[in-house]
Amino acid sequence: MDALRITDLKKKYRKGPEALKGVDLTVKKGEFFGLLGPNGAGKSTLIHCVTGLAVPTSGEIKVFGKDSQKEYQAARQAVGLSPQEVMSLDWFLNVEETLDYHGGYYGMPRKQRQRRVDELLKSFSLEDKRKASVRALSGGMRRRLVIARALMHKPKMLILDEPTAGVDVELRLELWHYMKRVNKQGTTILLTTHYIEEAEQLASRVALINHGEIVDIGTVAELKKKHKKKTLEDVYLAVVGREELARTAKADAETDPGAGEGKGFG
Amino acid sequence: MSARTGQWETRLGLGVRREFNRYWSIKRQTILTPILETYLYISVFGAALGSRVGNLEGFDYIVFILPGLVMMSFALNAFENNASSLFQQRFMRAIDDQLASPLHNLELLGAYALGGLGRGAIIGGTVLLTASFLVDLPIADPLLLVWCFFAIGGFFALFGVLMGVIADTFDQISLYRSFILQPLIFIGGVFYSTSLLPEPFQTASQFNPVFYMINAVRHGFLGTSDVDPYLSLGIVSAGVVVLFGIVYWIFKTGYKLRF
Repeated sequence: MDALRITDLKKKYRKGPEALKGVDLTVKKGEFFGLLGPNGAGKSTLIHCVTGLAVPTSGEIKVFGKDSQKEYQAARQAVGLSPQEVMSLDWFLNVEETLDYHGGYYGMPRKQRQRRVDELLKSFSLEDKRKASVRALSGGMRRRLVIARALMHKPKMLILDEPTAGVDVELRLELWHYMKRVNKQGTTILLTTHYIEEAEQLASRVALINHGEIVDIGTVAELKKKHKKKTLEDVYLAVVGREELARTAKADAETDPGAGEGKGFG
Repeated sequence: MSARTGQWETRLGLGVRREFNRYWSIKRQTILTPILETYLYISVFGAALGSRVGNLEGFDYIVFILPGLVMMSFALNAFENNASSLFQQRFMRAIDDQLASPLHNLELLGAYALGGLGRGAIIGGTVLLTASFLVDLPIADPLLLVWCFFAIGGFFALFGVLMGVIADTFDQISLYRSFILQPLIFIGGVFYSTSLLPEPFQTASQFNPVFYMINAVRHGFLGTSDVDPYLSLGIVSAGVVVLFGIVYWIFKTGYKLRF
């Protein structure tokens, strides 16, 4: 069974553009799948449709065989979402409560939640912040917390929406290491990113998305071979275009000074 | 429908607990301030002016206005809690964690509605309990009061949820409270019997839904009212059903909640 099967997914916002124009996509069980595209390409919209945060205009989404609309409770149970925006944490809760309530919403019994909270706080080096309000956390700690929260109920599929946007190099490498480990343990991962390096390092398969359409899909090696390019960056330039690349790099430089480090184009 | 997360805990209960913890963590603003506000009304209108007004429909003025004041504090806080909490959760997108979870739409709606009902009950109950030490307030019809609690509380709690979803700014929520609800409550007869009003104000009062609520509560306590309390509560209960239908539709379709 596929972890995720999306068929002809369209999304038109009430007062906005058509963000998704008939997306077809399959993510296999246990796969580390990268969704790569510039800002505004439709990555977050696609993820919002999968997780139920957005209502698709048309099309079908199946999560481990469960329809995301008709069987939404079962479909959502299988997914853990780490949103792009770390400010979306509940500011009235502390770190421990953030994880505990999340586990409760997914039906975890109290004792199981307590054990899982302890495990995650340790894994994400947040033990000494257990009782700290989320308001008091640094940006990096909030990023760790949203990823820990997504893993709280041990989802079959982890969706990471730009998990390393705005984080320093050290934390980025730490998160990469953690994501690889979680994937090795059997969790399917769907990662959206606009860092080419990130997709190249982590994903076993990559889909390139632009203007609400999947423009190409395959393993990094397949894409390089198909487009006769040496690097994924060159493939991206050929498929998505230099203008989009420059636009994304400019947006990054304005919002995320650390993003230009490393091999990525940001 | 509300799945269990443990022996006694349900997902609905967890949602209500989150809401309770939220307003308890800022209790000076959410609990103490409205209680103090209600006591100021009791002091000014009841103790200071009451002696000059004398009896109203056979009751001391303070006793006559107390049911309306309890209802006002209960209703306004049930409304305000839900409107501001839900709006804040939407504004910060903190609600996304709940929206992306397997919570049933009814569980999510129930958690917010019951949270506000609880805050209203804490404030209204505290005012009632402490006031009962100061004045001898009768309870003429306890069953009617229980019905009032659920019908009126439910109406304002659901109305708060509705406003929390459809408001686009904090300003709008404060506008609903200050320019619509509070005036309706004041002119609905909290501080007087509408039978004392000259025409056309007496007839105009009957177009105010809060007038029926105040009279039902007053009948529950004092056994006297300007209109049939059962008819009043029947109308309010019908309003709750309609409001619930609208709010449930909103949660089901995701209107203004989901992208």
